[in-house]
Amino acid sequence: MKQIIVIAEIFQGLIRPVTWELAGTALRIAELEADSKYLVNDRGKGQNDKKKNIRRQKKSGNIQLQKELKSRIRIIVPGEDPLPVAEKIAEHTSMDVICLKIKGLETYDCDAYKTCLFRVISEMDVVSHVLIAHTSQGRDFGFGLGVKLNAASISGVNSIFSDDDGLVYSRAVYGNEKNMMIRPAPDIPVVLTIMPGMFRDNIMNNLNNRTMEKGKITVCEIPFNGSYPLKKTKPVSDTGVDTDSAEVENIHVKGKLCQKSTAYPCQFASRIIHGQILRKACGNKALKGAKIIVSAGRGIGEKDGLKEIFEFAECFSSSAVGASRPLVDMGWIGYDHQVGITGAEVSPRLYIACGISGSSQHIAGMKGSEIVVSINKNPDAPIFRHSDICIIADVHEFIKEFLKQR
Amino acid sequence: MRILVCIKQINDNGDMNRFDEFALEEALKIKEKAEKQQQTPGNSVSVDVITAGKSNSFKIIRRAFGMGADSGFLIVLKTKEKATEYIPPFTIASLLSAVADKMHYDLILTGIMSQDMMHGQTGPMLAELLNFPCATGVTKIRFPVKNNFIQVERELENGFIECLEIKLPALLTIQAGINIPRYPSLSNLLAAEQKTIMTRKETDIFPHRGGVKEFYVSIETPEKTRDGLVLEGDLAGRVNQLLNFFKKHDLN
Repeated sequence: MKQIIVIAEIFQGLIRPVTWELAGTALRIAELEADSKYLVNDRGKGQNDKKKNIRRQKKSGNIQLQKELKSRIRIIVPGEDPLPVAEKIAEHTSMDVICLKIKGLETYDCDAYKTCLFRVISEMDVVSHVLIAHTSQGRDFGFGLGVKLNAASISGVNSIFSDDDGLVYSRAVYGNEKNMMIRPAPDIPVVLTIMPGMFRDNIMNNLNNRTMEKGKITVCEIPFNGSYPLKKTKPVSDTGVDTDSAEVENIHVKGKLCQKSTAYPCQFASRIIHGQILRKACGNKALKGAKIIVSAGRGIGEKDGLKEIFEFAECFSSSAVGASRPLVDMGWIGYDHQVGITGAEVSPRLYIACGISGSSQHIAGMKGSEIVVSINKNPDAPIFRHSDICIIADVHEFIKEFLKQR
Repeated sequence: MRILVCIKQINDNGDMNRFDEFALEEALKIKEKAEKQQQTPGNSVSVDVITAGKSNSFKIIRRAFGMGADSGFLIVLKTKEKATEYIPPFTIASLLSAVADKMHYDLILTGIMSQDMMHGQTGPMLAELLNFPCATGVTKIRFPVKNNFIQVERELENGFIECLEIKLPALLTIQAGINIPRYPSLSNLLAAEQKTIMTRKETDIFPHRGGVKEFYVSIETPEKTRDGLVLEGDLAGRVNQLLNFFKKHDLN
């Protein structure tokens, strides 16, 4: 049986909610794989039909757990002592969990994650997928892990389809203007980093509706001290992987039968010393409370353009000014105005995006808005796909006219 | 200290990936700081750039020279001129590692991702191939280096910042906003005319592009999440429509 591996995202000892999305995505993949054998294998149909086929699959995206899956899903929970967290995940998802105890790991460490996860995953039978969150943590270790596993590697996956030849993964390219479909080579594992929020909607329900019993927990221990052990990975044509087998024994954890594998002959040196985790600022209270947010992006042209944005915002009562990341990066406006994944997530009654192209990071921060109005010169700007009202115009001229008329 | 910056040309005009500009600027700032603190000899910093791309990618190497890079490597990819050709990040990382491995760099910088393909994979993969420790999304680098460890800050979600010390040689991927990249200077650009770009063909490094593990299927316009009513008419008319819409929905 093929295995789909999910790496839980743990931050400061807590489960990041994206973990549930990863579990849900794993279910979706398992279902699509189970389904794909029913697809008619008609290669003579041509490109158009193939596209339709992709679409149809997408619509029927709801996961039915009664269906017999051909893959086994396992969630790996790394940490110094992740058992309590692992228990929670096993309970919440009903999936089998591997509690990966990395002795000496006080906080997330790229080297420790890559090495220990590689050890564990390379010893499993036929791993088809490794699912990792496309977050600051997942993007840090995921692709190096992919290289170690000699796996295909697809980042920022926002949708999954199935066609006659198997699964196809969609990811955003060209500043979010397009999606590119990528197919991994068959019969090798694929590492996927999953865009947070993209699979949230129909997956959470499926997870919540499960009333199955708690998943089985396997405890696995690896010490973390000494030197970064693995020999240099070979580029391009590497095929062999290092697979020292570990001894596996059964132990009892809290009265439950768990498997425990112990004492990997594995040593690390800290090439990375961890300092504090600081917080820049805690979002903008004004942004969170505002009924109407007027947000500015690079389309405003120059720093002086911000004055107009503030004037525009003053036309409304209970309004605040937001900004896209590039303006904050350029130092035009403070971080506390930033809307997006790395800034504030907002959900006002009205969001007016002025000269914002609409990166996926920005969209994720404002998609909860009730009404979205966008003003942008570029008719292809991604923000228009997420807007109720689209105004294709120069921001500066449009606002000038608006201020004149009102 | 020897620094290598991995850069990418994103169009035929010779424009550099926005994120790589931040990486190159950061390397040049380290070099300038080292020059100011030149009390201890042997403390000098060199900044090389490398790119893998179409043969016209020499343009960004020249641009990098214009900004102040010392020398440049170009790996010419075996590519068709088709716009949608998909080159796996692992292929690029492998080619870069083949060149970088022999040069014994202390620090390798890349942008956090490319603005066109947006993978964000090449840096971490290159680090793995070279067996360097790596940190992604770096928003601050402290110089000078202490005891062969470099102090950095990297960006997490929700305004969190993680402070790290990383042992050299190391690879860092640079987040936007770490600095304000300079424009190429005329004098540097003129001097760049005299410089040689060390050029190699992909086929000389790896005769066959092996190990390709992902394939391009198609490119599509994503679906809308909202209806997107496009306002028509002249500017004044559209402003009027919007004002009416606000009035109707009691947005004031």
